[in-house]
Amino acid sequence: MRDWTKQRTERARRLEQAAPFATGKVVKADDVTALLQRVIRSGDRLCLEGDNQKQADFLARCLTRVDPATIHDLHIVQSGLVLPEHLDLFRLGIARKLDFSYSGPQSGAIARALDKGNIELGAIHTYIELFARYYVDLTPNVSLIAAVCADREGNLYTGPNTEDTPTIVEATAYKSGIVIAQANRIVDKVPRVDIPGDQVDFIVEAPEPFYVEPLFTRDPAAVTESQILMAMMALKGIYAEYQPKRLNHGIGFATAAIELLLPTYGEQLGMRGKVATHWALNPHPTLIPAIESGWVEQIHCFGSEVGMDGYMSARPDIYFIGKDGTLRSNRLLCQNAGLYACDMFIGATLQIDLAGNSSTVTPDRIAGFGGAPNMGSDAHGRRHVSEAWLKAGHEAAGGAGPLVRGRKLVVQMVETFGEGMKPAFVEELDSIALARKLGMPLSPVMIFGDDVTHIVTEEGIANLLLCRDADEVEQAIRGVAGYTPVGLARDRKKVEELRGRGVIRRPEDLGIDPLQANRNLLAARSIRDLVTWSDGLYAPPSKFRNW
Amino acid sequence: MIPQDIAHEPSWYESSARARIDGVLDPGSFTELLGPQCRIMSPHLALFDLPPAFDDGMIVGRGLLDGHPVAVAAQEGQFMGGTFAEVSGAKLVGLLRAAAASAGTSQTVSAVLLLLDTGGVRLQEANAGELAVSETIRAVLAVRQAGIPVIALIGGRAGAFGGGSLVASCCSRIVMTEQGRISVTGPEVIETNKGAEEFDSRDRALVWRVTGGRSRALLGGADRYIRGDVASFRAAARDRANPPAFDIDTMRAEQVRLEKRLERYGDCHDTPEIWARMNLPDPAGISEIDDAAFIERLAATGGAHDAR
Repeated sequence: MRDWTKQRTERARRLEQAAPFATGKVVKADDVTALLQRVIRSGDRLCLEGDNQKQADFLARCLTRVDPATIHDLHIVQSGLVLPEHLDLFRLGIARKLDFSYSGPQSGAIARALDKGNIELGAIHTYIELFARYYVDLTPNVSLIAAVCADREGNLYTGPNTEDTPTIVEATAYKSGIVIAQANRIVDKVPRVDIPGDQVDFIVEAPEPFYVEPLFTRDPAAVTESQILMAMMALKGIYAEYQPKRLNHGIGFATAAIELLLPTYGEQLGMRGKVATHWALNPHPTLIPAIESGWVEQIHCFGSEVGMDGYMSARPDIYFIGKDGTLRSNRLLCQNAGLYACDMFIGATLQIDLAGNSSTVTPDRIAGFGGAPNMGSDAHGRRHVSEAWLKAGHEAAGGAGPLVRGRKLVVQMVETFGEGMKPAFVEELDSIALARKLGMPLSPVMIFGDDVTHIVTEEGIANLLLCRDADEVEQAIRGVAGYTPVGLARDRKKVEELRGRGVIRRPEDLGIDPLQANRNLLAARSIRDLVTWSDGLYAPPSKFRNW
Repeated sequence: MIPQDIAHEPSWYESSARARIDGVLDPGSFTELLGPQCRIMSPHLALFDLPPAFDDGMIVGRGLLDGHPVAVAAQEGQFMGGTFAEVSGAKLVGLLRAAAASAGTSQTVSAVLLLLDTGGVRLQEANAGELAVSETIRAVLAVRQAGIPVIALIGGRAGAFGGGSLVASCCSRIVMTEQGRISVTGPEVIETNKGAEEFDSRDRALVWRVTGGRSRALLGGADRYIRGDVASFRAAARDRANPPAFDIDTMRAEQVRLEKRLERYGDCHDTPEIWARMNLPDPAGISEIDDAAFIERLAATGGAHDAR
């Protein structure tokens, strides 16, 4: 007869072997490596909590110290590969296979490791895509997670940076896996229970608080006039026209400029209350002036941001705040909100090709996707309507009708030349060459052209919804690609025709004088100004201060 | 809706050197000498494949302040970090020498305004830059000896580092904002030579706490602390009566003041320690309060350190 409880038996066996290293659920920091050595088996699927913000960094360090002769061929399934230790696991032979979403600072190291064959790559996912697979075919056997504090029963307070934790723990704990948490402190009573203790097997007080990267802080002092011009065009040519109330912003400087223009330029345009009231958004400090000016109704967050916790706690009408008074974030739920409940995504990219496909991959960097492909894609399962969604759909279809569905506005904002004067517009994405080199069956594309509705550059806005064939898309893109080789190769007559139809719109077509694009238009011109706007509640990390 | 402290008047920190000159002088009164149309550019930058500027980042000339003639020099901190170099240095030295020579003639000026915004000597032309700094110092002192005050206005992005700090400390007056910085050695240089434990240049709060306007004003390294808008700089420049004497008594008094300062605070590691020892209330909060509150607190110290 088939044994239906093999996983449960295996879990019990591992817990028994680990028992000598724990008192109840509490493990001493010095014993963690020995404990890991007992509870992990070669070939396990393992999630080492790490996303673009918080990191189970102490547990990561301990895991790199296990003996690769005993533990090897781990299959790492986690959203972010961000710490050097994450790569060390592959270099040391502890891990072999990888499924992930985002790499950020390790994007160069991943590309090199792939090239050398140190990593067997499953796939680069979006966040919710990977989380979905936690429940289908990538369920972790062991998860190593991070919490702010824990009590002795294993109840965890993950606080403002809750992020991925509930999703990881749910998948692991209910499928006979083992959950080990590092906590900044072990306390008698946690301020609130984010993760119930019966889902947690071991806790350890880490020698240092877990690391959090301030990822969404854009210094207003670094916003350029060209970004301000693009932001003005977006506000007048897209926000005012479609009036998207529910939206997500990327983390670039051009969208930060939009946030900083809402209380000034947006106010002049009379848009307050009509657009951008409900957000799926990380706690961007640059949104503080708009919040304080009454633009924003509510915001749900993927994660937190260093320095923003005090401000958010004082604005519970805007943010999702626990009864303990601090933010609760949740990456899975917020990504889902961005996919299904938002009318618009607007963000930056590195490269756009002639079909509007955009990618952040360069030949030597694999940054992953994070959430952009979900934010920046039309959800075909969406069935509720909004005016912005319907208007975009009708433009795409060339008319209304009982079966004409809406479209999410997916806007790419990009300066024609990026860092190091590299053209942002290209004939072929670098990701295609990369996929060829690594033998990947699918090129890593962040947002496919058929999802992109608008491209905004300093030269103008291209509305791809109004393009009727691939040739028009190409010329609309060339028509806003400035002095890049792609832009110079435009068919001038066709571009003028598209401009006549409103497919391409220049600043002057929108009644914007580029000389208006001045830093004095920004509601805040420095981090210090943001602190003033927040009434001293925003406490920026030291690296962003100039006082 | 915008908080008053963020009132959108032009900010000195954000303005270009030319916009600062326009904001300080009587409207339309500025006459530039050797302006960009003369195209007197650095002969050295091409060697390094670096683009030159038509004015070499130094704007000099004459104008009026409340109807009185003044000489003005402004560094463009956004070009090569506002550096002292061969051409920019010669323009500045020429202006200062002309001002000194003008004393007692019909061409005399009532003050020289130095709008410093500099990281110090331009590395690509270091020898010429070092010479320019010493010639500038000599020329500043000559102007002061001729009875004309030289006023340093510091609140730009580059601050006043290296030679710029030496020049500033030779002036009759130093006017500064919170964001302005003065230091001989830049934070990155200290870190490179002494390690991040000695001075972490990425800890921006530390950098400003030590080199910024508040610290300098409290320690007597700057005579006036003002808000960061252009109008406040104009007001400060107008107040040029009664400059400190340029004589041996002033020098001796300054020597005594500096010796005492070293004795009292020489073993401190960070500015809040100094502020605590000065018996200032809430030393840790001094960087956090707004300008109006700081100016009040500064006045309460009675801190008339006449640094010169």
